Amino acid sequence: MSSCCCGSPSLPASASSRRLRRAPAVKFRPAAVRCSLSDPFVLEIAEKLEDSLSVAPRAAPAPPSLQRLRDASSQSLLSRSWPSLKDEPFRFTDTSFLRQSRILPASGPSIDLPPFAAGSASPHLLAVVDGLVVPSLSRFSSLPQGVCVGGVSDAPSGPVSERVLEVLALGDAFQGRDLFWDINGAGAPDLAVVYVPSGVRMVEEPLVVRFVSLESADAGSNSLFVSNPRMVVVVEKGAEVAIVEEHLGAEGSDGKCYWANSVMEIVVGEGAKVFHSYVQQQSSNAAHIKWTFTRQESSSTYELIEISTGARLSRHNLHIQQMGPDTTTELSSFHISQTNQTHDLHSKLVLDHPRGYSRQLHKCIVTHSSGHSVFDGNIKVNRYAQQTDAGQLTRSLLLAPRATVNVKPNLQIIADDVKCSHGAAISDLEEDQLFYFRARGIDSETARDALIFSFGAEVLARLPFEPIRKKVASHIRDLLAAKKP
Amino acid sequence: MAMAVRAPLVRTFLLSPTSSSPSPSRPLGAPATCSVVRTRRGISSSRRLPLRANCRPLPTRAAVAVDSPGTGSREAESDSPNVLLEVTDLTAVVAESKQEVLRGINLTIREGEVHAIMGKNGSGKSTFSKVLVGHPDYEVTGGSVIFKGENLLDMDPEERSHAGLFMSFQSPVEIPGVSNIDFLQMAFNSRRKKQGLPELSPIEFFGFLDPKLSAVNMDPKFLNRNVNEGFSGGEKKRNEILQLAVLEADLAILDEIDSGLDVDALQDVAKAVNGLLTPKNSVLMITHYRRLLDYIKPTFIHIMDYGSIIKTGDISLAEQLEKQGYRAISAA
Repeated sequence: MSSCCCGSPSLPASASSRRLRRAPAVKFRPAAVRCSLSDPFVLEIAEKLEDSLSVAPRAAPAPPSLQRLRDASSQSLLSRSWPSLKDEPFRFTDTSFLRQSRILPASGPSIDLPPFAAGSASPHLLAVVDGLVVPSLSRFSSLPQGVCVGGVSDAPSGPVSERVLEVLALGDAFQGRDLFWDINGAGAPDLAVVYVPSGVRMVEEPLVVRFVSLESADAGSNSLFVSNPRMVVVVEKGAEVAIVEEHLGAEGSDGKCYWANSVMEIVVGEGAKVFHSYVQQQSSNAAHIKWTFTRQESSSTYELIEISTGARLSRHNLHIQQMGPDTTTELSSFHISQTNQTHDLHSKLVLDHPRGYSRQLHKCIVTHSSGHSVFDGNIKVNRYAQQTDAGQLTRSLLLAPRATVNVKPNLQIIADDVKCSHGAAISDLEEDQLFYFRARGIDSETARDALIFSFGAEVLARLPFEPIRKKVASHIRDLLAAKKP
Repeated sequence: MAMAVRAPLVRTFLLSPTSSSPSPSRPLGAPATCSVVRTRRGISSSRRLPLRANCRPLPTRAAVAVDSPGTGSREAESDSPNVLLEVTDLTAVVAESKQEVLRGINLTIREGEVHAIMGKNGSGKSTFSKVLVGHPDYEVTGGSVIFKGENLLDMDPEERSHAGLFMSFQSPVEIPGVSNIDFLQMAFNSRRKKQGLPELSPIEFFGFLDPKLSAVNMDPKFLNRNVNEGFSGGEKKRNEILQLAVLEADLAILDEIDSGLDVDALQDVAKAVNGLLTPKNSVLMITHYRRLLDYIKPTFIHIMDYGSIIKTGDISLAEQLEKQGYRAISAA
């Protein structure tokens, strides 16, 4: 059994910022030495994205908000370089296979789409295919009064559009964003918008947002189609909404190569509640890089439940910013890393106001010696965040020799009147539990299966919608069963 | 098969002719102190006794009665109940440290009998029960254990369970994420599968389970909770007895089933255990207290010390123990 690196809870951010301040030293071609601030590989991607957007079949003039986003992101890309293992945020996460691929922008869905969007568990469905909102595959008919869901060009002008602009501007000012955030902004073909006006409740029947990657290449072809879905969610004062975010490949595309690079920005208004479920089931050869950037106003609640099982490389950057006191934040994630899979969660919760409450649970299973899981969970309790109650726990299950997990749970506490805890546990299955099964006549293989499944069931049980919970549970059962020869 | 594995037993008796007292495996005052064994060697030996007519279909019944050299043939009883468990000179060590914990245990349990093992802390009582069910923390280094005519030590823990052996754990482990009913059904169905019977569906299983629940006086709500998670001490013990009832074991080893129970819960648990007793199955209790023996009446009481059984008797032994403590018995 391979061991892990349990990072010290001492200030990792200082280490990373020191690294970032170094001049980007990636020298791709000798000819590019002159423009020392640009990475030719990144520039090439930026150019391709720009070209594809200008010739896209639906190249009606982009709404001003989207155009501004693209321009600002392209500008920002000029000074970005591709991350290497020397950069702290990617110290354990190898992105070199993306770099070695020929990256092509996905051209957007054609007219005759396969009916993959059928069978949603909820009457509210927003389908986003290769980054474009597809109204024909979506269902908005029974949305509560005042709720807006759709592409930005269909968003009503007035408060909705203004709020979206505001949110995007806040995203531009976000200091923690990285190369992938900017690639998304520069290449976003559309902007999906969810707007929930104040006081509206949409909890019993969640809004399912289905991100599908359609354009893909065969494994081994070295081509990688990238799509850049962008989404803005605004939940106004006192509103409550449940969102289920699904990331899938097109039906029958398992084993195909593509890269989904999505960004979701969420604003949780004063006293509002957002229940966010995030299910990632991409093709086993896909790359999935995602940002979730959430701002929580005072007395708001944000609950995120993540279940990631797909993709060869899956990276979730989660940043939650507290904007007022008395917030509640609950984060749960469960990853399964099987053959050749890397699952990475980098989360950061920044508390700047008093009486925040947060709980984070991260669980992962690495079933194969080539599987890898990474967790870097940072909670920053700043000077004015007194009486914060923050807890963080990561538990990993390594089921094969040389299976690897790198965990770095870390708290940075400046306030002096807080209650914070964190913990990390890495193990194989508990012998005592296995024996208990066997003593009751259950053979060790069945017992192991039950125990492995139950390890994730703790997170799974938090998915608030039964049909989705059942679907995800059976998917996980299938995955765990398939791992056997 | 049965003959082959039983041969060593006889060897034990035959090779220890100097043993002056009755073999410790036979409790004092047991209805059949004569060991009843069958062996290929026995037939050719000079101590051969007539073959019983009905021995063939019931191999565990006395086939050839070889009397132990020290005792002679005075108590050869032909209609004593079948031997369920026969432990002979069992020695075991802790797997990790190789520290010796069982130093030659001898014990015979017949159908319908209730045995109790008492002894000081650290005398090896719980270790003995764990060794019987095949706990990986211990390694058997010598001796034999025959359960229903088969070598128990050759079996995996799950096979021992399928064979009809059950141990209620002293402190049952919590299993988060697995509901109690799923666990029971898994255990029940794997036994059915072993027996070549069709597995029960969840609904059929619930029908089977319902009377068992009321037998142990357990709230059906516990079925949907995770196995032992957040259960009180009494609830955990009740849950163990529920598992026993579901698995319908032939030999139940109850390891300190009375620890951590209040009087009411103890009565409930004891009532449930008594309800499960038939002339065909047996119980081996491990306890520190006489109180339990008031509710579940033992046929024999064994006192363990320093890894072996040092004294065997009836209920009066518990009374003596109560009055004088272990010191008096060890010294005797």
